[in-house]
Amino acid sequence: MQETSISTANLEQCLKCNLCTLVCPMLAVNEQYPGPKKAGPDGERYRIKDPEYYDYALKYCLNCKRCEVACPSGVKIGDMIQTARIKYGSQSKVRSLHGLRDWTLASTDFVGGIAATPIAPVANGVLKTGVAKAVLHGTLGVDKHRTFPAYSSRQFETWFRKEAQAAQSGFEKTVSFFHGCYANYNYPQLGKDFVKVVNAAGYGVKLLEKEKCCGIALMSNGFAAKAARQGRINLESIRKAEGPVLTVSSSCTHMMREEYPEVLGLPNEDVKDRIMLLTRWLYPKLQSGEIKLNFRKDFRLKVAYHTACHMQRMGWQQFTIEILRMIPGLELTVLEPNCCGIAGTFGFKKENYGYSQAIGETLFAEIRDAKAQADPSVPFAVVTECETCKWQIEMSTGIQVINPVSILAQALEDR
Amino acid sequence: MKYDVIIIGGGLAGCTAASELSAAGLKVALFSEGLSLHDATVGPASPKAQMHSPYAALSALAAKGVTVFRGDSIIGACLSEDGTSVKMVSSRNLGSEPLEAGAYLLATGKFFSRGIMSNMEKVFEPVFDADVEFEPDHEKWFDPDFFAPQPYEKFGVKTDAEGHVIKGGKSISNLFAAGQVMAGGPMSESEIEASGKAAAGKILKKQ
Repeated sequence: MQETSISTANLEQCLKCNLCTLVCPMLAVNEQYPGPKKAGPDGERYRIKDPEYYDYALKYCLNCKRCEVACPSGVKIGDMIQTARIKYGSQSKVRSLHGLRDWTLASTDFVGGIAATPIAPVANGVLKTGVAKAVLHGTLGVDKHRTFPAYSSRQFETWFRKEAQAAQSGFEKTVSFFHGCYANYNYPQLGKDFVKVVNAAGYGVKLLEKEKCCGIALMSNGFAAKAARQGRINLESIRKAEGPVLTVSSSCTHMMREEYPEVLGLPNEDVKDRIMLLTRWLYPKLQSGEIKLNFRKDFRLKVAYHTACHMQRMGWQQFTIEILRMIPGLELTVLEPNCCGIAGTFGFKKENYGYSQAIGETLFAEIRDAKAQADPSVPFAVVTECETCKWQIEMSTGIQVINPVSILAQALEDR
Repeated sequence: MKYDVIIIGGGLAGCTAASELSAAGLKVALFSEGLSLHDATVGPASPKAQMHSPYAALSALAAKGVTVFRGDSIIGACLSEDGTSVKMVSSRNLGSEPLEAGAYLLATGKFFSRGIMSNMEKVFEPVFDADVEFEPDHEKWFDPDFFAPQPYEKFGVKTDAEGHVIKGGKSISNLFAAGQVMAGGPMSESEIEASGKAAAGKILKKQ
């Protein structure tokens, strides 16, 4: 007798209870989307029989994994939908304008490599203009309400090799750093903040031998084969790296830990436990007294913590929350875990803009409330590990969003 | 991470106990594997489920200061050498992070929510491997009359007079049980709620 499930993604454990349907942020605003139960386990049974049953409305899945968090039976509904999109949906081709747009949005290394150079101020200036936005809206279909995150004229890796690498050999113990695209091309300060915090903790920082974009944007835009190629390169580098491989972005982390094996078929069992967010690594060491951080006495900040979807799926928000609570002068509110609606590149597309904003409204309202209730004499910010949540919340509420690593760096005493 | 009480299971029994214990000023953590199965059995199609947000119960607890771990479950436990107290537990998502508490409450429900599981040899409780009251003769698990009360519905963990969970014949002094996971039943909604309250009372008395 067969006692355990042999299906992929725990398909046969689905009880049809519909709790996933109840929590799906997309279904709440878009009736064209079949919802996680129908798109996932229900649809999968048909797709196994005949791929013709594949429903193109599965493109609306945000891959937020809130269905998996709600599932009492451990069915990997989100993984199932992602896999179906790759297996049965058409993979994108750069033949149409929308295909070109998807490719451009997904190719973070290529675009970042060109834009995050001394031409960055020009590129940023042009992309901000109404004319550029109207052209992008009308041709490629990038929504005109969106502003691209600014590119940095100097990449984090360049800064690190020139300004910081030499000093790292002074540390006995080291950690490896997977910086991610956002820290490298758009906001090197986040990478610098990481180095500051890790150094203050008594550890040196090493970069990976070769780091590629984790591939999440490629995967969700229909370029799974390329995402897998990049994944293989990253895993190879991680295998060669010493010690823990620390990250600052929740989505890159979730991608490398969970979606590499489950969706892209890249085994990572041997290194998975070493890939983690800085706060996940730091918390037990602070708790045991192995690491001691000296915080400034005059630090004052009121923050509202937003649990990004992939952070919620990994279940690691409490590590960050507990660390934030250790910072003197920091007042913390934890927001209800709701999706911001951007889902990486999804919300940048003009056909999705409306859904994106409708989904995020619950969260935005809570953030506005938290700010309204805060003491106006203390600076206020939202804290989250996800960079695309950051763009969405900043674009939609005008309130500053900071990565917890940067908060730590700002609160540390300068040595 | 350290708490006064760690509650395993975010159903009606666990949520009721969490609410009582946090109201009494204790630092409570609650692990809820997915949304409450209580909601699942009521069914999202029912007017009751549609009236409140799916996370209403867990959100209300979070607002009261309970640390709620959504979509996470306790998968392992470490007992003292003599087997009479729980030293720490660990969860699927938090991995190697030790979760310690003064008291632990098992509120994982019965077969449907896998608080109690069975294989060909036995009926067991998967987190602590606590002693389970069940009928060894497989033939006697079911009554062929579908509408008759079913004997398997009464299977559940053994507890002593003070509500401690029993393992290997010995009471575990800081592990309590509430709701359907306990031997006996099946319970009505109000009985589950009362059971959660009673367990909270026993934990408070111990503090």
